[in-house]
Amino acid sequence: MLNSKEYIEKPILEIQNLKVNFSTYRGTVKALNGVDLKLYPQEVLAVVGESGCGKSVTAQTVIGLLPENAYVLEGEILFKGENLLKKSKEEMRKFRMSECAIVFQDPTTYLNPVLKMDAQIKETILLNKEALKMAVVADEEGKKIGYSEFLGMKTNPPAESGKEHKVSNKNIDRMAEKLVIDILKVVKLPDPERMLRSYPFELSGGMRQRTMIAMALARRPSIFIADEITTALDVTIQAQILYLLKELRKKIATSTLLITHDLSVAAEIADRIAVMYGGNVVEVASTRTIFKNPLHPYTSLLLKAIPNILAPVKRLQSIPGSVPDMVNPPPGCRFHPRCALATEACKVGNPKLKEVEKGHEVACY
Amino acid sequence: MQKSEVRKGEWEARLADLRYTLYLMRKNPLVLAGTIMALFFIILALLSNVIVNPNLAIPEGYPDSTYPFIRKYMWSANNPINWGPNIALYHGPEFFYLGTDSYGRDLTKMIILALPLDLYNAAIITIVATLFGTALGAIASYVGGVVDEAVLRITDVFFAFPGLVLALVFAAMLGRSIETLQLAIVLVWWPPYVRLIRGQILSEKEKPYVEALRAMGASHSRILFRHVLLNSIYPILVQATMDFGGVILTFSALMFLGFSPSPALPELGNLAADGYGHIFDAPWVILFPGLTMLLISLAFNLVGDGLRDVLDPRLRR
Amino acid sequence: MKLYEYIIRRLILLAFVLFAVSVIVFYLTRGFPTAVAPWAPYINSKMTAQQIEEVKIAHGFDKPIWEQYFYWIRDIFRGDWGLTGAWAQGKSANEVFFKSFPYTVELSLFATVLTIAIGIPLGIISAIRNNKLPDHISRIIALAGYSTPAYWFGFLLQLVFFYYFSLWGLPHLPSSGASDLGVAHITGFPLLDGLFSGNFAYSWDEFVHLILPAFSLSFISLGFLARIVRASMLEVLRQDYITMARSKGLKERVVIYRHALKNALIPAVTLTGIFFAALLGGAMITEYVFSWPGVGQLALRAIMQGDSNFILVYSLVFAAIIVFANLVVDIVYAFLDPRIKY
Repeated sequence: MLNSKEYIEKPILEIQNLKVNFSTYRGTVKALNGVDLKLYPQEVLAVVGESGCGKSVTAQTVIGLLPENAYVLEGEILFKGENLLKKSKEEMRKFRMSECAIVFQDPTTYLNPVLKMDAQIKETILLNKEALKMAVVADEEGKKIGYSEFLGMKTNPPAESGKEHKVSNKNIDRMAEKLVIDILKVVKLPDPERMLRSYPFELSGGMRQRTMIAMALARRPSIFIADEITTALDVTIQAQILYLLKELRKKIATSTLLITHDLSVAAEIADRIAVMYGGNVVEVASTRTIFKNPLHPYTSLLLKAIPNILAPVKRLQSIPGSVPDMVNPPPGCRFHPRCALATEACKVGNPKLKEVEKGHEVACY
Repeated sequence: MQKSEVRKGEWEARLADLRYTLYLMRKNPLVLAGTIMALFFIILALLSNVIVNPNLAIPEGYPDSTYPFIRKYMWSANNPINWGPNIALYHGPEFFYLGTDSYGRDLTKMIILALPLDLYNAAIITIVATLFGTALGAIASYVGGVVDEAVLRITDVFFAFPGLVLALVFAAMLGRSIETLQLAIVLVWWPPYVRLIRGQILSEKEKPYVEALRAMGASHSRILFRHVLLNSIYPILVQATMDFGGVILTFSALMFLGFSPSPALPELGNLAADGYGHIFDAPWVILFPGLTMLLISLAFNLVGDGLRDVLDPRLRR
Repeated sequence: MKLYEYIIRRLILLAFVLFAVSVIVFYLTRGFPTAVAPWAPYINSKMTAQQIEEVKIAHGFDKPIWEQYFYWIRDIFRGDWGLTGAWAQGKSANEVFFKSFPYTVELSLFATVLTIAIGIPLGIISAIRNNKLPDHISRIIALAGYSTPAYWFGFLLQLVFFYYFSLWGLPHLPSSGASDLGVAHITGFPLLDGLFSGNFAYSWDEFVHLILPAFSLSFISLGFLARIVRASMLEVLRQDYITMARSKGLKERVVIYRHALKNALIPAVTLTGIFFAALLGGAMITEYVFSWPGVGQLALRAIMQGDSNFILVYSLVFAAIIVFANLVVDIVYAFLDPRIKY
């Protein structure tokens, strides 16, 4: 785990002051109210918050799949320096194809029920014909091609040999299948060949979620977004998937944005945690720091709400009040109606994230 | 909460729902157009006896016989539309916007007179068929068991009749009156409602609130009529609106085929039948009544179709 | 339940339906105090009262209704469907029926093809560009088709494509009848007969005659199909797996063709079976307007004359077709949707 002392690099993804609204019949829902977030290379950043606080919306905005009635009011999303919000639909498509992959919450509804698994998984990898061609060429030259080598080819493409290589579609297809099977082994799916011939409904929930992760990996993304991927699974499967993610972390080293409402999941696997509330990021710090020294009142309340299995039996602590109405949110800091430390200033201005100590940012007065 | 308060709350919720529905419908231009057209025809039908003297429908004699009135199809000579050779032109002082039929009656006026007949009959038929089919289907599917099976089989039998055969046979055998036609068409149009309401009720039956109501001691009929039925009513409403257009078409088609009680009855299908043998030298006689038929049916179908889109529970909010 | 169990169950249902249909029609045409006397097709105005009585006894109209039904059942199991009346030269009912049946089949087949070819793309466009201009246009076309009176549209086509085109000197399509030429009867299907006997001019002529009535017939049902396809597509496009497909970076066209269509078309494709059956039975008015020598316009005449034998043949054949079509459609649906297993 990286600790807060090692941030020398520039963030690979930077969200600045993102404001996103939804126009609905009941009025404008101000879902994101100026989100600031930084994702550094090869780290796992967990975005934690209650339902409705805007974490999924943030992910959807990054990947460019907001629903029709949503629009971006303000803000920038910088990926390797370029603003994603200014890109065309085609450019965003390519972005999704090879740079950013997202895995969703419910593996049942997110898989096409009438297509076999091999079609669905292979199509992700077949998108990148160029890379596959390189793989076939390398394969013909006798090199071993598995998923890790395929990954490596992204950052270090093999040198162009002088010869013209004709690569048939059949070979590309065969290479795709080979790689897919390799990826499936990486996500620890038993009997990948048989699984490819099955339909989604023939598989269990855990298996389906693994295939979704496989589909994401096949694109060799620089950013991997996991949107509540364990929420729909039972606790035992949850544990397996988390374990898998930890292993993948070591092998693949992409930057991961993990979205969850479960602090314990975040604690398991994240390097840094960003806490969101009501459309804002209220605190960001390394996992250790968050748990040892939460600065934002919301964060500390969240932590207090986790039942402690070792402590003497006490009443469960909950956070008073309820989630703000996003159509008419409270003015100023959105947490102030429920905050024990609220002052007059909190009712007026919306605090921005300030770095309080190295690597620890809080949005509070 | 008091029972009356609960009921009031229920109706408030339904009212808010209704307002939302109307808002969505306003947003869709086609539905708006359809509603306006439908209202136009309805108002025209209601006022028809005021606008046009119903005595004009009587072909024998004419109130004003100062000019020789030949009883055959005529098209006003100064009417800008030219239908081609072989049409009989009328050079007299009266101007027939849409020509005359074979009795020399002004077609425009006949169409207007025909509207209330068609709309009224279509309404009656649709309402009866809907009520009957829905009630039968609702009771059958709610009760289940043998009753359900029996009703299903009966419905299957009626579904198996090809096209209009049953209605035609019925109408032919029972004689040519409006009531016969009404009954004949109702016989053919009620089965789809059984299937429709059955699908709805079968899925509603399984929902937890029904069990809760039983636990509270509500009687079956109360559950069925006050709760389950009201929740299932939307598709029925949609279907009935669209069926209104279909029933008008069927009704006039039967008239066209010759089942009308009197050949001079002002009814859209009947007027069209009048011109059937002369489609090339008096095309307006079929053209305009049929066009009116098309517009009426289209209006109601637009409304019904828009309603279906709007009432789809997944598209709301 | 197993597949063959299911089929057998449905076939039993078919028998029951046929029985019920026959009883209803029989009663309506023969037993009910009717406006048209059931023996009317067999007599003409020149007969004396005594001769009329003889005709009645010869055809069994003097016996009580349930006896008549019993004799009728016995007869049909021997293959004798009774005679038609004077309006069809008194030939046997099934002979008259099956001679004209191929014409109706051809018409319906062609109309179904047109319906699918136009209706499905219309529905897809409507769904993809939901609530934008293409949707509104195709919606109007679809609903207009649905709202058009059958007799009126046929007439309109005749007027424009036959009359006015020839007036304006354009090549025109014939407006009535099946063909002006004649050919040997091999299969009974005029199109095929022409091909088999090498008389291509006949086949072509018949085909040309087929165009207008088929289009008239299909115009009405293509609207219905388009709406169903649209509703189905909209439903599918809302699904999560479509979002998933987009998130993979697939081209929108691929998303629609490979992922959405396969799901959305299942109900539509299966419906075409029902469409075909419905078109078969419902072509009456179109055949009448276009003087197409099919079974529908014969049925129309039979009903007007009160010819119970022919009406019974017609009703039973088509009832069987409809029930059968439903069965086939259900099985095909199970085939196409991998989630349903038998």
